[in-house]
Amino acid sequence: MTTRRLQQVQPPQADSEAVVFDGAFDVVVSSPGRWEGKISLADGRTVSFLAQRAGQEVHLWIAGESYVFIPPTPVARSQKAGQAASDDIVCPVPGVVIAVHVAADDVVEAGQDLVIIESMKTEQIVKSPRQGTVQRVSVQEGDRVDRGMRLVVLVPLSKE
Amino acid sequence: MAMFSKILVANRGEIAVRVLQTLQAMGIATVAVYSDPDANAPHVALADEAYSLVGSTAEETYLDRGKIIELALQCGAEAVHPGYGFLAENPAFSSDCAAAGLVFIGPSPATIELLGDKIRSKEAAVGAGVPVVPSSATWLPGDSPPDALVAQIDLPLLVKAAAGGGGRGMRIVERAEDLAQALESASREASSAFGDGRVFLERYIPAARHVEFQVLADSSGKTLHLLERECSVQRRYQKIVEETPSPALKNDELRQSMAASAVAMAQSAGYTNVGTVEFLVDAQTGEYYFLEMNARIQVEHPITEETLKLDMVEWQTRIAAGELITLSQDDIQSTGHALECRIYAEDPYSNFAPSVGRLLSWRPPSGMGIRLDSGVAEGQEITAYYDSMLAKLVAWGPDRQSAIGRMLRALETFPVLGVTTNISFLLRALAHPEFVGGDYDTGFIAKHPDLTATPDSGQLQAAAVEIAEGFWQANGSNTVRRETGAVQDTQGPWQGLSKSVFP
Repeated sequence: MTTRRLQQVQPPQADSEAVVFDGAFDVVVSSPGRWEGKISLADGRTVSFLAQRAGQEVHLWIAGESYVFIPPTPVARSQKAGQAASDDIVCPVPGVVIAVHVAADDVVEAGQDLVIIESMKTEQIVKSPRQGTVQRVSVQEGDRVDRGMRLVVLVPLSKE
Repeated sequence: MAMFSKILVANRGEIAVRVLQTLQAMGIATVAVYSDPDANAPHVALADEAYSLVGSTAEETYLDRGKIIELALQCGAEAVHPGYGFLAENPAFSSDCAAAGLVFIGPSPATIELLGDKIRSKEAAVGAGVPVVPSSATWLPGDSPPDALVAQIDLPLLVKAAAGGGGRGMRIVERAEDLAQALESASREASSAFGDGRVFLERYIPAARHVEFQVLADSSGKTLHLLERECSVQRRYQKIVEETPSPALKNDELRQSMAASAVAMAQSAGYTNVGTVEFLVDAQTGEYYFLEMNARIQVEHPITEETLKLDMVEWQTRIAAGELITLSQDDIQSTGHALECRIYAEDPYSNFAPSVGRLLSWRPPSGMGIRLDSGVAEGQEITAYYDSMLAKLVAWGPDRQSAIGRMLRALETFPVLGVTTNISFLLRALAHPEFVGGDYDTGFIAKHPDLTATPDSGQLQAAAVEIAEGFWQANGSNTVRRETGAVQDTQGPWQGLSKSVFP
């Protein structure tokens, strides 16, 4: 199975001929977070596909090959645009929130524990990447969370 | 002896499901056991009763002889089916069962012990007049220099562990000056893997094919062979694709001679129940050599079942209950051709590294001649605790070409998401001219690095990107995202990666 991550796909070389998809696809069965359908390829073949969302990932099966697409996260995007890092602290793994160590208006230091997630029988501690003020906490103990979901909004310390 | 009324299956995954299905069809009450990560696995749901072995690792669960025997006694089971792997070829488990008054569905402890020792089983083969690969006496570090050994075997040769298996403690030696070091390191590896550092030399057969014969034996000593299976498509000494009949056995004379050797081997080992005699066939000379005999049901048994139309687990159970084989050798007539592909959770393009995760989609194919022996279900978490084999896809056809065609179609219509599998690799391997021609040996995968190179499927990828983008626009939003002030509505999720990025 091929796993390609969108961010890792390189632009085509200047002298290579780009394959640009110009066909159409039909979604035959659609349910929340899942598509099944058919797509016509440039070579005339019509193949089946199955797309499914898992957190912030798109898992796609097409004609025996499988792909995982990861849309750029808000952090990656704003960094790409040269802006300050996102205010969102997102969940690194799918799992269950077993502890929330901060509340709104708390001032936190870089490296301070924010939230603990249990995943595959191990604890993952989400730490604050920088100093700041917690604007809001989006999860509570016992919540099931997916990779990429926002846990905490952290804003810069207000200047007084 | 009457048929059992209740049997405990001491295994997990597809083989546990496979065994439970037959026992239920026979009207026998079934008991499953499971580890913590397997609490929601299909074999647990399928059995009439299921008991926790408490724990996660194989050692604290499926390998814990005491726990399993205690549960079997508590629930009133009369026999234990070990499947393959775990305790299937453990003589201590087999004798513990007997001591506890339970029937172990398999051969006797003495037979298991004999066949588990490479040196002793080879001696038994020689005694039965079965050809063996020429080999030397055993060697241990501290023994006299290996010059005396090498005089017995021509180069190139293989250094092997006496208690070996799975390719551990094994070295190919092509030059005499490399031998001393190969012996030392193989012995070290064997010592840490098996607690037995004995190694020996064996003639190396470069273009070898791995062909095995199924045997069936009852307590009266009646022993039949159930024809052969070709198992030469291997990676890291593990089989991936098997088929029967073997394209290597081009004439029936060779087949009959190997079958007679398999029966002789089983009889000399005092074998009862189903077992498999493995041979190497020299593709160049057509000579064959005994490799080992496996005292269990094999992973690849379904292809024999499909071509002979008999249920091997049913025969295992009947023989263990003391029934005699009612079939005669003339009843064993194969029809058509069968192939098996092992579906592994692994990445064939990263050196077959195991893959874990949640099975988001698992949609088994169907169709004429298609059988799937599966131990997983959609939504299940695939963990790193156990073997990475998810299922076995079997295709039967009236001839080899139609069986391959059915298999390819089934593999193409088998969506699996969430865990990386070897399905796209299997599609390429089965479509390879060397496989299609039937002219492959155990070096098939190593000889064709293009099979394990990351596929370049520009067209499919372009289509995949198109679907993923459309899908994300329709399904990508969630409350978290909408509440996020940092993400502008005008900024789509694929922003920064325009379509032109993708070739």
